[in-house]
Amino acid sequence: MIRLWPVFFLAALASAQSTGQMIARGEQVFNQTCANGYCHVAKGAGGGAAPRLVARGFDEPYIAKVVMSGVPGTAMAAFASQLPPADLSAVIAYVDSLNGVTPSANPAGRGGLQPPVAIKRTPLSPEAEKGRSLFFEATLGFGRCSTCHQVGNLGLPVASPITAIPANVAALKALKTPHVSTATADGERMPVLVLSQGSKAAIFYDLTSAPPVYRVMDSVQVNIAAGSSWSHASAIHAYSDGELGSILAFLRTTAHP
Amino acid sequence: MRILLLLTAFVAAQAQDGASGSNWPSYGGSSYFWRYSALDQINTANVKKLAPAWIFSTGDYVQGLQSTPVVVDGRMYLSTSRSQVFALDAATGRTIWQYKYPFPKSAGVNTQNRGVAVAQGKVFIGTYDDFLVAIDQKTGRELWKVATDDAAQCGCTITAAPLIANDKVIVGSSGGDRAFRGYLSAFNIKTGRLVWRFYTIPGPGEKGHETWKGDSWKFGGGAPWTTGSYDPALNMIYWGTGNAAADMYAGNRDPGGDAPNVNLYTGSILSLDADTGKLKWFYQVVPKDVWDYDAAFECVLVDHEFKGRMRKLLLQVHKGGYTFVLDRETGEFLNAFRIVDEETWVKGITEDGKLVGRNEPVPGKVVRVCPSAMGAKQWNHTSYSPRTSMLYIPVIELCADYTSVEQEAIEGASFGGGNFDFTQAIQQTAGKLAHIDGYDIATGKRMWSVPQRNIILASMLATAGDLLFTGDPLGNFFALNARTGEKLWSFQTGAGHRGSSISYMVNGRQYIATPTGMGGAVGTQISGLLEDGPMFRGGSTLVVFALPGDSK
Repeated sequence: MIRLWPVFFLAALASAQSTGQMIARGEQVFNQTCANGYCHVAKGAGGGAAPRLVARGFDEPYIAKVVMSGVPGTAMAAFASQLPPADLSAVIAYVDSLNGVTPSANPAGRGGLQPPVAIKRTPLSPEAEKGRSLFFEATLGFGRCSTCHQVGNLGLPVASPITAIPANVAALKALKTPHVSTATADGERMPVLVLSQGSKAAIFYDLTSAPPVYRVMDSVQVNIAAGSSWSHASAIHAYSDGELGSILAFLRTTAHP
Repeated sequence: MRILLLLTAFVAAQAQDGASGSNWPSYGGSSYFWRYSALDQINTANVKKLAPAWIFSTGDYVQGLQSTPVVVDGRMYLSTSRSQVFALDAATGRTIWQYKYPFPKSAGVNTQNRGVAVAQGKVFIGTYDDFLVAIDQKTGRELWKVATDDAAQCGCTITAAPLIANDKVIVGSSGGDRAFRGYLSAFNIKTGRLVWRFYTIPGPGEKGHETWKGDSWKFGGGAPWTTGSYDPALNMIYWGTGNAAADMYAGNRDPGGDAPNVNLYTGSILSLDADTGKLKWFYQVVPKDVWDYDAAFECVLVDHEFKGRMRKLLLQVHKGGYTFVLDRETGEFLNAFRIVDEETWVKGITEDGKLVGRNEPVPGKVVRVCPSAMGAKQWNHTSYSPRTSMLYIPVIELCADYTSVEQEAIEGASFGGGNFDFTQAIQQTAGKLAHIDGYDIATGKRMWSVPQRNIILASMLATAGDLLFTGDPLGNFFALNARTGEKLWSFQTGAGHRGSSISYMVNGRQYIATPTGMGGAVGTQISGLLEDGPMFRGGSTLVVFALPGDSK
């Protein structure tokens, strides 16, 4: 299960414990997440693949920035999306302590960064929470919604952003997809989502089966006609009606630009 | 060029031929993964004259160059750590085209790429963010790409070169030290459409699912993170799988009882039908792994006499310090021969392959284990020479102090379940940290061994000139006599070796090409551990050797 942590909780959880507790928790998190022999090693002592962290003269804003956002192009990942906010604060506080810095009350907040939040800043109802899980459910493989839909920072943006949410499951199943066309190439017909079609090249997603395939063809190779036999209903067959209802409940809570 | 190539082609109708010739057509040299070239223009008599012919810098040096170039009809295809691909003139190094994959802004662990596959006019590369891309072999133009997963959710990547089998391109996933469930995916070469997917951990209702406790199967690791092998005659593919996750804590995934297999199919060697992805057989090397002992390394496929009869063998060197020999038609265990001097994770392996006397890390205690999680061998590959019947193995003698910690899975997040530390344990094997060995595959007997001052993290390359090439982290690229281990030639290339050298021929001239440039998690880690470490230089340069024009 992937967790998208509402910012709502961030201050409340982090301030609910003393600095000492926070550092102690941070050491636990560090040992589980960062101290692996491939990386920073216990107590940030160095000798693994990643830099030493103890006594480096780092300040808290720097530590927070690196923990939250990672270091692009290196093995240092952005943990804002991987740890709950309280643990982020705790691990930053722990690395603070390795550098002789007294942690602030809310170190993760100091970085000025927020974990990726796909949802409104209110706790989800149980049904919406269930819907969120189902939307991204890895055990469904390419049958999950996020194979084609991105919500927040998760999922693949094959389809354009979801802006209109069907009123109910029946409406979801009856969803029309007039923007799906039919391409004919090499004597084969396939439902496609056209991204661009110029005099030289045609670029489209082939929707014949999941996952969709991004394809580039010479324009002369392919003939694209309006309409298709493709239906959204066939793409969501991995879910029961009840599950689709939960997914709709989740989508209603999502923020849209 | 000598006539050996013609001879091997002549007998190929009856005998298996895993050698490469003028081309180095695939990652493993052939789909049997011998990493052996039948070329013998460069040989024990003239290797001393070997000299650089051309040098190519990729400019993509952050993670070093771990790649294996592929050569087809005088053109070389070389990938770099950030999913760039170069097509080069294999005789001169001239760039023919360059494909630049838009690298994601947020990079996580393992941003390396180990190679491409080439088939049917296309070049295939797996990307850091889990796409498989098909590129036009002539022009470098993108033809199709498909997402094998959502990198932001799974924490997984593709680092391995894809494998070609018939009309399919098959690729595995990396990420088994995170909360992740491994899989292989096969795509149609022409259309990019998914043909089959095989999860290395069975889901509910599937055989083997009962070897997992509760929901632990969902994030149990088992990433098949290197490149598999393919036997066209049997139409079977062979793939090793990675460690179970959490790596060092099994309490949340062990269902209890005394079943011989726990946490299938992690730490296993798998045989699948190439066309359907259906499991033909499995051999679990380490049930209930708690040492981060992937069984993910290359499967070398050799038809050879074994105990008086010809067998279709599969050999895999395992992190735990044994080379496993199986019958690749049936999966039957035939032998496990030990390759390390220091070994404490088990007391031994029985004649039928059972592990005896497990020395497991337990919560609340520091346990020293040899070999370390780095393995008695790393992913850098062995080589098999049919002229010597030897498998050449780069062996690491390194122990680690393990701790085990209960940990809950958070999808896509780091899932070590403990830790391992080399800083004290390295003293135990100081002065004898590495050796390169030649093993007779039929008997498992060590025929020769050459001690190394530094751990060898580059692949072996054997040739019909009875040469064995590899490189060390200090930048030395060298040739040993494949029959004796005697060092015959060495050249300082300027940067450490963490890739796989190859051999090929263009216009009657044999070349040896080696990637240079240390990088990656283990490469950097080794640098931090060893006295010579500060001199293990990074970079990303291919250095190509040939005999000078007048000495061929």
